[in-house]
Amino acid sequence: MSKAQSRSSLGVIGTVAEFVLIAAIVTTVVPILWMVVLSFQPLKNIIGADINLSFSLSNYTDLLAPGNPLLAQLGNSLAIVVGTVLLCLVFGSLAGYALSQLVIPRVVLLPLLALTAFIPLIPPMVLVPGLYATMSSFGLIGGTLGLVILNTVFQLPFAALLMKVYFDGLPATLREAALIDGASEVTAFRSVMLPLVKPGLASVGTFTGIMAWNEFLFGLTMTSGGVTAPLTVGIAALVQPFEVAWGQMAAAGTLAAIPIIIITIIANRYIVAGLTAGAVKG
Amino acid sequence: MTATTTIAPLRASGRTSARRGRKSWSKFGLVALLPFALFLLLFGVYPAIELFRMSASEVQVIQGGFHMEFIGLDNFSRILADPDTLPVLFVTVIFVVGAVALTVILGTLMAVMLDRAQFMKTVAKRILIWPTVVAPVVVSVIWLLLLSPTIGAVNKMLLAVGLPGQGWLGEPVGAMLSILAVDVWHWAPLVFLLVYTSLQSIDTEVLEAARVDGASEWQSIRMVVLPMVKPVIITAAVIRLIMSVKAFDEMFLLTHGGPGNSTNLISLHIRTIFFDRLELGYGSAFGVAIILIFALLGGFYVLAKKAVTGRQASDV
Repeated sequence: MSKAQSRSSLGVIGTVAEFVLIAAIVTTVVPILWMVVLSFQPLKNIIGADINLSFSLSNYTDLLAPGNPLLAQLGNSLAIVVGTVLLCLVFGSLAGYALSQLVIPRVVLLPLLALTAFIPLIPPMVLVPGLYATMSSFGLIGGTLGLVILNTVFQLPFAALLMKVYFDGLPATLREAALIDGASEVTAFRSVMLPLVKPGLASVGTFTGIMAWNEFLFGLTMTSGGVTAPLTVGIAALVQPFEVAWGQMAAAGTLAAIPIIIITIIANRYIVAGLTAGAVKG
Repeated sequence: MTATTTIAPLRASGRTSARRGRKSWSKFGLVALLPFALFLLLFGVYPAIELFRMSASEVQVIQGGFHMEFIGLDNFSRILADPDTLPVLFVTVIFVVGAVALTVILGTLMAVMLDRAQFMKTVAKRILIWPTVVAPVVVSVIWLLLLSPTIGAVNKMLLAVGLPGQGWLGEPVGAMLSILAVDVWHWAPLVFLLVYTSLQSIDTEVLEAARVDGASEWQSIRMVVLPMVKPVIITAAVIRLIMSVKAFDEMFLLTHGGPGNSTNLISLHIRTIFFDRLELGYGSAFGVAIILIFALLGGFYVLAKKAVTGRQASDV
């Protein structure tokens, strides 16, 4: 409180700051809002030369009509999110716990950390040829399972490191006490340590979920489109060079964006933790 | 609970071996790391090996399987001979420099402003991060609806006030400016969040002291606040650097790399080589070259970071 007061008692820049922020908020919100507004417009209003506004659900009914792959794509995206989040939570917390609380031989630790640090640096597109060859030799091209795996591969280093940060906050004596009281290592992890890092699990869960929901590149390159693709690829398919389905595109974009923004409003704390920690870890 | 008590003596013996001086490593730790390590090996290391193998091969897809024939470094010498290589690198560098500079400057500005503001503080803090969580594909949709020459709101507004509509995405310079604007809209909020988080940890007493010493608001921002968050600004710049080299999704939808090569970033170019031209070996070689560049940059970053932290330590 005293902090806020002593900083805001500065005159001119404080006033300028309010206006800069208003401008920034408008710049942030108006483009998103415009998409939402257009999604409720009939096509003639969208392509008309002037700005005319009315209200119509036709874009949404078109998108959800039978024969349109969008519902299947929504389902794929949800399945990918659920799968990726589960794998990242389980494997990420196990790995984070091991890295934070347990003694790992250096021969294992160093290569693993080097990989963990290096994978986020590489542009995923660069790895796509190699990934494509790998996935096709495992028979995982074109399916949801393959996309769950690829999303997990690229989210897991982040998940493990973020969980490590949370486990680092727990005293090592806690685990030792549990062991002395007769708990097995598994019980100590599951019943004593894991419940104490729930905020970390929430961060990893929301953040990897959003990333998996938003993922586009692997959906594009590892599926053949249509009903096998995730939602993001479905949206991209609405943008054809010579015939863009503007209204449906706006509606599908709204369907993809609004749930995430609502989650961001509700789980703001966890997403901020994910963004800042993920960013710090590169 | 009775079952677990029997394990206790085992643990105790484990602890005696730990007392021998060096801590013994944990079996459970290795088991816990196993899935993580397997994922990285199977879908990180193995694909990378495949990538290197393909980059040195003439690759053909025969009946769904990859058929590789070793051709040495031919694919790599093609990179140098390809007339697209230089424009692609040039465009990527322009984009990366522009995107990093603009997002870092504007993000830092927003963070400092938020730190000074009062009324808008709470609302702004929550709303400004929205773009970072919206899918890149949706960001493209949002901006297509604004920038499209035919239905875009920007041109409609220009026409409404009597100005000529612009081609934006259809002209080389306009397209580059457009994807930069989109990138700034998308990622300046991330820089904002990073810098703002670290601004909050600055001790108020330092600012008080600056004011008592007669520093103006602007002076205290420039000479006290910014130097204190400089490490975070540098980190943010590095993160943005990595991210903008990776950039793909937004441009794939907004411009497809065009017109011509004017927004053809590395990732877009590799996709074209691999999936449109089906030159799998050459596309892989391009990827390997990029990875090697990254490994070099990564090395530089580690060294630079060491230098920075070393200097901070000596400052204290």
